[in-house]
Amino acid sequence: MTEFVQTIILGLLIGGVYALLASGLTLIFGVMNVINVAHGVFLILAAFVAYSLWSATGIDPLLTIAITTPAMFAFGWVLYTGTIRRIRTAGPAASVLLTFSLALVLEGVMGLVWGNTSHAIRPAYFNQSFTIGDLFLPKAQVYGGLVAVGVLIALYVFLARTWAGRAIRASAVNPSAAQLVGVNVAAVATMTFAIGVATTGAGGSIVGVLYPFLPGSHYVWISRLLGIIVLGGMGSLPGAVVGAVLMGVGETLTTTYVSPAWTTAVPYVIIFLVLMFRPQGLMGARLREDVAI
Amino acid sequence: MRRLIPRSPWAALIVAFWVLLLAFPFVSDDAFYQNMIILSLVFAIGASGLNIISGYGGYVSLGQSAFLGVGAYTVGLLAVRIDASPFVWVPLAGVMGALFAVGLGLVALRTRGHAFVIITIAFLLLMQLVIINWPSFTKGTAGLSLPLAQWDPAYLNWPFYYSLAALLALAVLLSWRIRRTKLGMGLIAMREDEDKAATVGISTPTYKMIGFVASAVPLSMAGGVYAYYLNFIDPRGMFDIVTSVQIILSVLLGGRATLWGPVLGAFIIEPLNEVANQQLGGGNSRLLIFGGLMALVVLFMPQGIVPFVRDVLDRRRRRGEEAIVGARLERPLVMREREEAPVGHDVAEGRNLLEVKGLEKRFGGVRAVDGCSFAVPEGSITALIGPNGSGKTTVFNLVDGTMRPNAGEVWFDGERIDGLRPWRRAHLGIGRTFQITRLFRDMTVLENVVAPLRSFSWGQLNADAVSGPEAERAEELLEFVGMRRYRDQKAAALSYGQQKLVELAQVLMLEPKLILLDEPAGGINPTAIERMGEMIRQLNRQGTTFLIVEHNMPFVLGLCDPVLVLARGQTIAEGAPDIVQQDPRVLDAYLGEDFVLEEVRA
Repeated sequence: MTEFVQTIILGLLIGGVYALLASGLTLIFGVMNVINVAHGVFLILAAFVAYSLWSATGIDPLLTIAITTPAMFAFGWVLYTGTIRRIRTAGPAASVLLTFSLALVLEGVMGLVWGNTSHAIRPAYFNQSFTIGDLFLPKAQVYGGLVAVGVLIALYVFLARTWAGRAIRASAVNPSAAQLVGVNVAAVATMTFAIGVATTGAGGSIVGVLYPFLPGSHYVWISRLLGIIVLGGMGSLPGAVVGAVLMGVGETLTTTYVSPAWTTAVPYVIIFLVLMFRPQGLMGARLREDVAI
Repeated sequence: MRRLIPRSPWAALIVAFWVLLLAFPFVSDDAFYQNMIILSLVFAIGASGLNIISGYGGYVSLGQSAFLGVGAYTVGLLAVRIDASPFVWVPLAGVMGALFAVGLGLVALRTRGHAFVIITIAFLLLMQLVIINWPSFTKGTAGLSLPLAQWDPAYLNWPFYYSLAALLALAVLLSWRIRRTKLGMGLIAMREDEDKAATVGISTPTYKMIGFVASAVPLSMAGGVYAYYLNFIDPRGMFDIVTSVQIILSVLLGGRATLWGPVLGAFIIEPLNEVANQQLGGGNSRLLIFGGLMALVVLFMPQGIVPFVRDVLDRRRRRGEEAIVGARLERPLVMREREEAPVGHDVAEGRNLLEVKGLEKRFGGVRAVDGCSFAVPEGSITALIGPNGSGKTTVFNLVDGTMRPNAGEVWFDGERIDGLRPWRRAHLGIGRTFQITRLFRDMTVLENVVAPLRSFSWGQLNADAVSGPEAERAEELLEFVGMRRYRDQKAAALSYGQQKLVELAQVLMLEPKLILLDEPAGGINPTAIERMGEMIRQLNRQGTTFLIVEHNMPFVLGLCDPVLVLARGQTIAEGAPDIVQQDPRVLDAYLGEDFVLEEVRA
């Protein structure tokens, strides 16, 4: 029983990290109808940046989010205006192929800069745990989960309470209507992409502490994040959070009760099942405009 | 039809390619170049296959290399267990590839666009994971060593080389044949607009599934040969997503939906792969080169080499030719009588061709159609009018099967059809045009009109895309709507009004008993509106029943009887035009004051 409770709590904590990352991905999809297949690579890139900052200065790696988040925001902005903006209207194939090719290039660049070996950020508290009764909760996971939830709440407040946030949501729901009421949809798209990528900044700092990583790790991460947004309903922010929590708990349960080797299979199986039986996901609504059989 | 193999210099190039390919081992025994050609052949086979589903069908897959792995592991797993030449197992590799393609197809039946790409990535990575995590069967990451070739070493790699060349010939032949059949035309129609394809009678899931299988089998067989050639396979090498990228890149670079483009692309990409691996140490440089190249192709040359060159040549040849623009509409001719009178089509008075009972469709909290019931008498021209948002187009979508109702029944010609898929309804005799025209934009006008299918049969898939009688019939229909002169124009090049006329001709190809017209007079000039009315009357005299959604009241009132009025998803009035016009409920619905109506009803 203790093992089960512990598994669930750890699943919820990692679910918070997933929720932050998946919110960025689903936000980009919702506003732009672009699946950013490079989201996983951005995350690993941010983890490497956090690693370099931590090993150079020794600051707490979780504090590096103050640097990685704005850095990834700027990076996303530049990448969007330089490349993705050109193919916004070219259909799903073009955007998937383009973001995937960016992912490959960045994977290669990271391999050249940091090497293709496994890296890990190990702060002093890495091997310590909180003990509550019989429960052992690793400090790194607790801190990481809490920081992620904090950033996620900040993102939600921004989207709900600011004019820019409302413009983003309006553009997601109906771009032409948003344009009509004075939202500069093109500028909103750039900002959305940058904000979506910025979540990988905070996420990368946290993930770097929780898991070892190498340039090729991005495949596992993008599969997991795609699994989450497919499960939650593509483009749905609440869906991303629900999907992330389910994914986190599902993975920790699989690790504990099946085998860690099969944990990676969880997202793939979820993708198959959801797209077969409920293609719109848990929270995705089918609208009048979506003509689908 | 667009010619896929232009005569001379192209034909000469292709012959030269095959002569060089087949003669090379006799001329040179340089192992480096033989290896390069063998790998290029594997890529070319994969690219030709992928082109069937991605180029023709529009389904982009990032998981295609999984079929290379399926073929390689089929042969590998059998070869280490059974003592026979691994070549024996190559056909079986094709069968396994087909089975996995059907499995993937079943999973992906309801997905398209982004979701489909995601599924293909998941498929590839899951396959890799299963091979890794099942070492008792597959030896996991340690990989499998296949037996060495048994033949006389003097033959070198010839058996691999020529069997792959034969597979490439097979793959290209398959692609060529498919492009010329109903299957290929259906796939292209799906690429252009899958839902529309279903409404003109194309059984899209079947077409999609066969496209998947056709694109997977050649590569799986090549994977079998390739495994034997390598003597060693492992999950990371065989289920490598970078290989998928190289296959896609071959298709894009050479030119998607062309016959030879993917082959050309493969013979450019693979040598580049060799350079990356041999000279630049593989790994990261391979990622940089192919990632960078794919980004450049997607951004700057999305159409690929072969179409680019063809366009340049075409433009040079066409220079000085007069374009057909602003031509006057030709007078409509009398329609030929139907070849076969539809069964039970003796226009009995009072018989209803279409009946809708208690139809409901909800979108989240919105009840777009809310208990709607009406009937369309056989032989009538019935109008369906109502304010914007009253649910007219949704009713059309429910009748033609584009959407499924939440409740209610649809009866057509004595048969309940609300459970049928759109193409089945088209086969029964329901044709439908769209409010905003939905022609297959990249097909010619003639191809658009020929595309509809009046039935489904397996033999049909292999029938010529445009048979003689079909082309004749299509030309007659184009003549009827006055668009014959435009038969070889791309649909995308037509004006909106012209597209409406072609879409009508397209629907007529189904020889429908009932035609649903969604705003036939919307957005076109008054003369064209008048002609549209004439054509509808003429078709009606020949026995076709119409249900028309339209906002142009003079047009509706002059043409239709009875008139059905829809408001808030329900029929609130029906009858002859002059009666409906006077009905206070109708005036209310149009002029506002809905709330009064609500209160009265409540």
